[in-house]
Amino acid sequence: MKIKYCILTLILFITGRVFAQDARFVASASQTTVSTGEQFQLTFSINADGSNFNPPDLSDFQLLGGPNVSNSMEFINGKATASSSVSYILAPTRVGTFIIGPATVVVNGKKISSNSIKMTVLKRRTGQPNNNTGGGGAGTQANTGSTDLSKLLFLRAEIDKNNVYQGQPVTVTYRIYTRVDILQSQINKLPDLTGFWNEDVKMTQPAQFRVETYKGQRYNVADIKQTILFPEHAGNITIDPFEMTFIARVQTTPRDFMDQFFGGNVQEVNYPAKSLPVVIHVKPLPQAGKPAGFSGAVGKFNIEATVDKDHLKANEALNYKIKISGSGNIKLLKDLNPNFPTDFEKYDPKITDTVTETANGVSGSRIYNYLVIPRHKGDYTIDPVSFSYFNPATGKYVTLSTGSFKIKVEKGINENNVTALSGDQEDVKLLNKDIRYIKTGDSDLRAEGDRFFGSAGFYLLLLLGPIVCVAAFLVRNQIRRNNADVVRVKSRRAGKIAARHLTNANKELQANNTQAFYEAVFKGLYGYLSNKLNIAYADLDRENIAGTLRAKLAKEETIGELLDTLDLCEMARYAPVTHISAKQVFEKAKGAINAIEDEI
Amino acid sequence: MKFNQIKLIACFLAMIFSPALSFGADNQQQLFKKANALYAKSQYKQAADAYQQILDAGYQSAGVYFNLGNAHYKQGELPDALLYYEKARRLAPGDDDINFNIRLANSKTVDKIDEVPEFFLSRWWKGFILSFSADKLATTAIILMLVGSALLIWYFFAIASGLKKFSFFSAIFFFFLAICTVTIAASQLSYFDSNKQAIVFTPSVNVKTSPADAVSTAFVLHEGTKVNVLGSNGGGWLKIKLANGNEGWIKTADVKAI
Repeated sequence: MKIKYCILTLILFITGRVFAQDARFVASASQTTVSTGEQFQLTFSINADGSNFNPPDLSDFQLLGGPNVSNSMEFINGKATASSSVSYILAPTRVGTFIIGPATVVVNGKKISSNSIKMTVLKRRTGQPNNNTGGGGAGTQANTGSTDLSKLLFLRAEIDKNNVYQGQPVTVTYRIYTRVDILQSQINKLPDLTGFWNEDVKMTQPAQFRVETYKGQRYNVADIKQTILFPEHAGNITIDPFEMTFIARVQTTPRDFMDQFFGGNVQEVNYPAKSLPVVIHVKPLPQAGKPAGFSGAVGKFNIEATVDKDHLKANEALNYKIKISGSGNIKLLKDLNPNFPTDFEKYDPKITDTVTETANGVSGSRIYNYLVIPRHKGDYTIDPVSFSYFNPATGKYVTLSTGSFKIKVEKGINENNVTALSGDQEDVKLLNKDIRYIKTGDSDLRAEGDRFFGSAGFYLLLLLGPIVCVAAFLVRNQIRRNNADVVRVKSRRAGKIAARHLTNANKELQANNTQAFYEAVFKGLYGYLSNKLNIAYADLDRENIAGTLRAKLAKEETIGELLDTLDLCEMARYAPVTHISAKQVFEKAKGAINAIEDEI
Repeated sequence: MKFNQIKLIACFLAMIFSPALSFGADNQQQLFKKANALYAKSQYKQAADAYQQILDAGYQSAGVYFNLGNAHYKQGELPDALLYYEKARRLAPGDDDINFNIRLANSKTVDKIDEVPEFFLSRWWKGFILSFSADKLATTAIILMLVGSALLIWYFFAIASGLKKFSFFSAIFFFFLAICTVTIAASQLSYFDSNKQAIVFTPSVNVKTSPADAVSTAFVLHEGTKVNVLGSNGGGWLKIKLANGNEGWIKTADVKAI
């Protein structure tokens, strides 16, 4: 017995210690078996002062409310006990069994974990009674009747067509359908619309409710937002859900008389809503018949080009305007690259968009304004610009073309000094220089093609020198040949010399100048003999002459005659000669020479 | 015999030079003077017409081309001016005035073309062969030939050996010079024959990469630019090369040959 008390006391002490010192961290769910769409409360409670609460992963459930935190403090026998709890209102989204993992909290520097809870989610049964009456301790915004609320208040993303060509606009409208009063609304998340190029439709006025019938029920409907989407690639593109949170006033079934009396059957409910994802089927543009210059324009367009003038001076600006109007992805149009003459200086176009976005799509016009400056005189043509688009209504490609423009450029005022090309040529330095003056002297005019070089005359004159040379060479050789034998030349010349002297002598004789006559005859004879016999003048004497003549086989009487004449002449030079007349001496001398000439 | 030879040569000379002394040339000379007077009075249009008449009559000279070029230049017709300057240069390559005006007119054309630097020897050689006109060189060659011949004849008849030596070697030297001169004149002519050039007359013309309109444009030329003509495709297109080495095709109608 005594032992029994002892044990009991011990146990009491122990439990007392446990209660006093160990913090208990417990997770509990209002129900562990729920059906989809049904909500339940998950509570984590601790009987100590905890901090750093770390909830488990609740991604398997839709978070409808919470975390709601409540704290309590108790004083019992002078001893304070604190407890706190965190609760979530959750709703399962999928059927299955889920484990809600342990949450952790730090108490007195120690990290403790809660237990984990196994949740079983069943398929929703229709006509299930609304069993949220036990809803443990939710506040005024109890999430009652969310099952019904999903029918009374929901979001829809509506598209005007779900089978489009790439680039064809789709209008998506986000709408609220409601049958309850909405006190407050807030957009949580807008879809990020990956895969589309989008253009918001400007709402002219804030969203207004209108009555519309949907699936046999009348709803108040409001358009939150309208966006025009241009699919950027082919395939199935999903528009992500659109999420909003509402605070709605919901009628609940009265629980008792008092509720009914005070109108307490109306509850304000915090309700998060989410639209369903929408899939758009995007068809690729057909490859067949795709024009070469197609750059992705889809819709229905018109093109028109204008120039502000077609007649201008060089270095003046010309505005070339291309206007594309119509409906479709106007803002996605690429630059057109009109083909300007290469000599035009071209600037990037100024693009002006006049676009209105309506629920029917995007329409308006885009104007490309090109500023070009012709730099040189001439007649130029701006080629037509062709523009292709795909018309989704007919499913065909259309190619439009602008007109071509003839531009006449006159000579500019400062054409040569403004060119971009000659920037580094020394124009300034040359401005004060002028060309050299014309040639004024006698111009050497010639008939065309009449060039001296290469003409027959040129060659003749060129050869003239050599020809003369050859001639001179021939003449010289002839002379040389003739002069080769000096003795023969001399003897041939002897008769001539003698004749010259004798002619002289004859002259003196006529003039009766006897002295000079004999002198001439003597010189004539001596000169003749010197040349004829090839004896130097100094060596000429009677013996020499006679000897040489004899050696040359002259007749003795000829020699005698000659010597006689020589003697006569020598004598006559110093003394008058009387026995013979001068005439006879002359004849004798002539006879002697002739005789020698005959014999030798 | 010697006398007969001289008579023959005199006959040849008379035959050669008689056309140049004909009356037609005399008339043109008057026209040339008249044109010069018009130019002096700044009546460039009329002066250009008068020079053109001389050319139309079939006569030409470096002076006429040069003056016609000047008259066009004064009227602001740069391509014409350059065309006639270049024609003048063909007749008188070494003329300083012509070369100066070509440089000046070229600096006013739109296209600045950097010439590919030539090997200095080839540049010198070109400057050398182009320094005198072919006809001047021809006359020089004849004179050198005659002097050489005279020296050779002297050599034939000289008796003193010193004189003989001197006359022989100087005769060889003069003959050599004469042959050189003829060679230079001939290479000058072949240079002009092989270097066909043309001036662009269209204010702005697209030079194509091949002889067709539809192909891409290689580069753009403007009036007054001188191009070397490499050949023709026979279908109205010329293959041209710029001084900077670029090649392309141009329509025959866009250029005028020098």
